[in-house]
Amino acid sequence: MGLEQRIAERSEELAGKWADLILGTYPPETQAVWKSNRELFSNPVGHAIRTAASELIPLLLAWNDADAVAAALTKLVKIRAVQDFAPSQALSFVFLFKKLLRQTFMKELAAKGALEELLAFETRVDNLAVIAFDLYVSARDQVQRMRVEEVKRAHTNIVRRANLMQKDVTAPKAE
Amino acid sequence: MAKILKPDEMLRSINYTPPATGWMETPNDLSPGRFAYPAKLDKMEYLIHEIPGQFGNPRTWNPTDDDWQLPSNWKEIVVNGFRERLDKYRSLKVFMDICVRCGACADKCHFFIGGGDPKNMPVLRAELMRSIYRGEFTLAGKILGKLTGARVMEEDVLKEWFLYFYQCTECRRCSLYCPYGIDTAEVTMMARELMHLVGININWIMEPVANCTRTGNHLGIQPHAFKDIVEFMVDDIETITGKHINVPLNEKGHEVIFITPSGDVFADPGIYTFMGYLMLFDAIGLDYTLSTYASEGGNFGLFTSADTMKALNGKMYAEANRLGAKWILGGECGHMWRVINQYMDTMNGSLQGPQMQTPVSPITGTVFSNAKQTKMVHIAEFTADLIKHGKLNLDPSRNSDIIATFHDSCNPARAMGMFEEPRYVLKNVVDNFHEMPIGTIREQTFCCAGGSGLNTDEIMDIRMRGGLPRGNALSYVQQKHGVNTMTCVCAIDRATLIPLADYWAPGVKITGLHELVGNALILDGEGERTMNLRQEPLPGFEEE
Repeated sequence: MGLEQRIAERSEELAGKWADLILGTYPPETQAVWKSNRELFSNPVGHAIRTAASELIPLLLAWNDADAVAAALTKLVKIRAVQDFAPSQALSFVFLFKKLLRQTFMKELAAKGALEELLAFETRVDNLAVIAFDLYVSARDQVQRMRVEEVKRAHTNIVRRANLMQKDVTAPKAE
Repeated sequence: MAKILKPDEMLRSINYTPPATGWMETPNDLSPGRFAYPAKLDKMEYLIHEIPGQFGNPRTWNPTDDDWQLPSNWKEIVVNGFRERLDKYRSLKVFMDICVRCGACADKCHFFIGGGDPKNMPVLRAELMRSIYRGEFTLAGKILGKLTGARVMEEDVLKEWFLYFYQCTECRRCSLYCPYGIDTAEVTMMARELMHLVGININWIMEPVANCTRTGNHLGIQPHAFKDIVEFMVDDIETITGKHINVPLNEKGHEVIFITPSGDVFADPGIYTFMGYLMLFDAIGLDYTLSTYASEGGNFGLFTSADTMKALNGKMYAEANRLGAKWILGGECGHMWRVINQYMDTMNGSLQGPQMQTPVSPITGTVFSNAKQTKMVHIAEFTADLIKHGKLNLDPSRNSDIIATFHDSCNPARAMGMFEEPRYVLKNVVDNFHEMPIGTIREQTFCCAGGSGLNTDEIMDIRMRGGLPRGNALSYVQQKHGVNTMTCVCAIDRATLIPLADYWAPGVKITGLHELVGNALILDGEGERTMNLRQEPLPGFEEE
């Protein structure tokens, strides 16, 4: 049985383990709360982690729809882009899947002399990281853009008045 | 030459796991983006003079510096201030003693839910203060120290307070779940009061407080400029409706004084809500005036100290008395209504002039007996009453492009229990309305993550992670029902929910309630309406 088939068969189990590894990047007190609650509205981060893990594994196996991969990554990347992480930590969750694959399959593939199967599959995970990087940067750009736009909105009528004052001073009155 | 890591080594060098230190040992991270900027020196010098006894140690300082330039006796000031407040407020003493750490509040704070920092669990945030209470004021804590979770006041503790009590929006969602009814917002308020004594503060709160004290609104706009800005909106209403309306400013002898947050006057999209108010008053012929001195309903004193809150709130009655108004109509604001509903009568009720009376709607005759003590009516109650009595001529089809949901602003929801009135108004002015899921609305509503003076751009990351629970529920109804508009009754919401929606539910627009009322409202003598209050084409007029 090839590696992809084995991943497909154990997809649910691997998704659970990947999600637990991702949850492990948060402080212990937080893990305790987030691991025990699977509800979307009271635990959106935990929910997003589990959803991303279970959606991404089939997409990695199919590997024919970049848009779908990006869509499955977006929420979790946006969450981690505004959490208290360095960029490397924020995107580490992708590489945790590599860690999981090696823990699960490397020994037996090495024994069979079929390590290249794992390396080939890992290339997809590397590509996943690059897609995640694009999404991360675009999220960070958006945060900075929103800061500027917010300051402008807060002073809409003040700026309007300032412009008008200038017009009053420089332009002759109509009548 | 530096050694180049092999990919696998590099991978191993990234530290995925968080430090496993206990919370007392975890060091403070005061990197930029993790705190709001401190107050400007001139604002603090002004406030020390105007509202004495609240603020100390004015200086220019930077939280990233190791030395915060605290006074040499800062510890004594904080501990004495703490003792004074424990004596003064029975509630504070109870809140310090009574928590059994059951954990009911732990996962209820939006900052914890979105960010995952354990110190944002309300129980642990309050513990930052309780540990000092035990260490400084209880015998067991003094003797047994850390065994009882006690510690003494140190500079690092003060810095920790600055980080975390300015990551609480005083929204009181956690209090809702507390079996003992501990009001965490009041714990935060006390911690902030103590920090003010030694000059630990943020500019986004202190500058509005200074401006409100001096000119009456948070941007410090003076009366003549305020008048010009109101005239812009009168001009815009004329452009949209073809009707010129009269807006009385600082006029004596009217029945009602109308007070709203100044964000409605200055900031997009609050200005459209303000236009909605003006159109409503014209439609019903309300006998009212605005005041340029009481031109800020919002009260950043609530986030500062009890005495500051009292000072800023007092101007509402002062202006009502000066202008001879019988009662006060209040606009769409969040914390303004917490102050009115929970504190105003106790703090300033004695300032009410003899001319003030229990509010009665001059149009419907409804007596607002709920406002008997404060003499202040919320505009959503007022408008709901008008609609209920058929006094408004409304055309909701002008809002037919809107699929709306309603965000319960924390304070009107949790501090005054106002759930139905804004929904009733909204459903009468839009055709399509969908609630966000149970557990995220009404008294369980999620905060915009910008309340209590945190709606400043330098902490946008903190606001976005705190905004996740609200954004997540919004995104759900956007996908399920095509919701494209979130309506709210709070000026801070109108500002903060825009980036929140842009980030978590792109494509959803934020409006105030009375903006949509203004769209639907048919004024006597108006021309054909082809655009909404934002001067965008109404449904059916897109091509013109």
